[in-house]
Amino acid sequence: MPEEPVIALHAVKKNYQDAPVLDIPHLELRAGIYWLQGENGAGKTTCMKVMAGLIPFKGEIRLRGDVSSKDHPVQFRRLINYAEAEPFYPAFLTGRDLLELYLGTKGGDRRLITDIAERMGVHIFVNNPVSTYSSGMLKKLSLLLAFTGQPAVILLDEPLITIDTRTLAIMYDLVRTWSANGTTFLITSHQPLDPEEITLTGTLRITDKNITLN
Amino acid sequence: MRSVTAILQKIFTAQFYIQNTGFFLVLFYLLFGVVDSGSLLNYHRSLMMGFLEGSSFLLLVLALWALYGLKCVGFMMKVLQSQGYEFLYPTMGSLDKKTRFRQWFLLHNAIYLPVWIYAGIAVLIGLKHHYYVSAGIILVFNIAMSVWPLALYDRKLFQPDIFFFTGYLQRWINRRFTKPPVLYFLYELFTQFPRRILTAKLVSAMVLWLTFFLMHEGNYFDLRGLQLGVMLSVLLHLQLLSHHRVFDDTWLNFMENLPVSTLRHYGRMAAIYLIIWIPEIVMITVNAYTKTSWLSLLTVFCMALSLLMFFRSLLYFPKMNNELHVRYVLITCFVVLFMILGHYEWLAILLLQALSAIVFFRQYRRYEPYIEP
Repeated sequence: MPEEPVIALHAVKKNYQDAPVLDIPHLELRAGIYWLQGENGAGKTTCMKVMAGLIPFKGEIRLRGDVSSKDHPVQFRRLINYAEAEPFYPAFLTGRDLLELYLGTKGGDRRLITDIAERMGVHIFVNNPVSTYSSGMLKKLSLLLAFTGQPAVILLDEPLITIDTRTLAIMYDLVRTWSANGTTFLITSHQPLDPEEITLTGTLRITDKNITLN
Repeated sequence: MRSVTAILQKIFTAQFYIQNTGFFLVLFYLLFGVVDSGSLLNYHRSLMMGFLEGSSFLLLVLALWALYGLKCVGFMMKVLQSQGYEFLYPTMGSLDKKTRFRQWFLLHNAIYLPVWIYAGIAVLIGLKHHYYVSAGIILVFNIAMSVWPLALYDRKLFQPDIFFFTGYLQRWINRRFTKPPVLYFLYELFTQFPRRILTAKLVSAMVLWLTFFLMHEGNYFDLRGLQLGVMLSVLLHLQLLSHHRVFDDTWLNFMENLPVSTLRHYGRMAAIYLIIWIPEIVMITVNAYTKTSWLSLLTVFCMALSLLMFFRSLLYFPKMNNELHVRYVLITCFVVLFMILGHYEWLAILLLQALSAIVFFRQYRRYEPYIEP
C-alpha cells in the first residue's frame, strides 16, 4: 500500500490584487526533506506563507490526509510550522515572550526546546527585547520557534542565510533527527543544501506559478 | 568643517522646533496675541507676580513647566529610538563622559530654552520684589529639570533596549512576566506612541468631564446624555482603531500560524478594547454611581465596548480605508443615537455585538492588507 501524502495541495490559487502569483492544480508530498527552488519573485515565500496559513488563498491544503486548511484551521496550524526568511517581531517582545506564546499554543516538549535553545545559544539573550537582536539572533529565534509543538511539516524559508556555521551544523542535525522521526521539511534556499549533511527526498521547482516535483 | 555640537543641534534642536511649530504658534498666540500690545508687559508682570506671590499658582506653573520638560525628554528619547538614527549610538558613545554630558546638556537646554527665558525673567522680577523663596524655588526647579534628563539620555545610549524603567528592573520583569497577546497593542502604544494614547485618553476624559459638568449645571442626570458623551469618547478612539489594524498587519502576521481559534482571536479583540476603555469606566463609575443604578452603568459600558468592537471589526474588510470607515462609523452613530433616545439601548447593543461577531468571524481568516494599486 503506497504511503499517504503528508501534505496535499488541491487547486491552490493565490492572487495579489488581480495579479496571479500561485496556481497549483495538484501537489502531493510524502514524508521527507524537500528543497523548494525558484528564482527571486517566483513565489517561494508566498507558497510557504500559504501553506503555513499566514495569508488567505483559494483552494485547499490537507495535512496527513484529513486535516483541512478550510475545515480544521486550528488543527491545521498545529501541524505546520514556519520559520521566515527575514523574521521580525514587535520591538517590546522578548525571545522568552515568543517562546512562551508558541509553547502555550503549539505545545510540545518544553525540555527539548530548552535544550535546542541552549545548543543554539538563544538562552543567553532570550530575556532581552527582540529590538536589541541582530539579524542572526532573530533568525536563530525564528528557527527555534519552528521546532515547537509536534509538527508534521516544518517550512524553513532561507534557513542558511545570516546564521553562523555552528548554528548551521545544529540546524542540519535537527533536520536530520526530526526527519528520521517523521517530520517533513520544505526548505527554500538559493545556496545548495549540503548533501553530506542531509539527504533530499526530492526537489520542488516553482515555475509559471506552479510547483513541480523532480 | 561643522562642529559636533552644530550637527547634533541640527539633528535634535532644529527638528524639535520644526516639528512643534504649531504648538509654539498656539503658545505664542495665547501668551502674546490675546493681550493688546500696550498692556503686554504689564500683563506678563502681573502674571509673574501672581505666581511669585501665591503658592498654589506657583505649583500650577511648575506643573506646566514639568509637562513641557517631559515633552522635551520624550522628543529626545524618540529620536534616539527612531529608525535611521542608530548612528548616534556609536558616535555619541565614543565621546568621553564629560564631553558627552556637555552635549546632552546643550541639546536638552536648547529645547528647554523657552521655559528658561520665561522663568529667568520671573526670577529677576522675584529678586527685585524680594520674593526670594519663590525665586529660589523656580531656579532650583528649573536647574533640576535641565539636569536630571541628562542621566536618562546617557543610560539610553548604553542600554538602548530600555523603554520605561531601569535596566535591572526591566530585565527582572522580563524574566518573570510573560506578556500576554492581549497586551501587545497596549505595549506598542505605550512604548512607541505614548503621545497618541495619552492624547486620546486626555481628550476622552475631557469630553466625559464636560458631559458630567453640563448635567451638573442643569441639575439633572440623564442616562441618554451620558451615552451621548460616551459615544463621543468612543469616536475619539478611532485613530487608535486604525493604528491597531496597522499594528496587526505589520507586526502580528506571525501569529496567524499559531493554532488559535477564531473565537479566541475575537475574545482577544474584545479584551483589548475593554482594557483600553478602563480609565473611562472608572471615571464614569466615580461620577455616576450615586445618580443611577448599576444596571444603567452596565448598559453604558456595554454600549461603549460594542461600538468599539463593531468599529474595529469593520476594519477587517480589506478595502475599508479611513475615509470609508469614518463614513460607516458616523452612519452607525446616527442610528445608535436614535435608538438611545428611544430607550432601545440593549437592542442597539445586541445588534452591534451580533454585527461585529458576524463581520469578524466571516472576515478574520480571509483578511489580508489591501495595497492600493
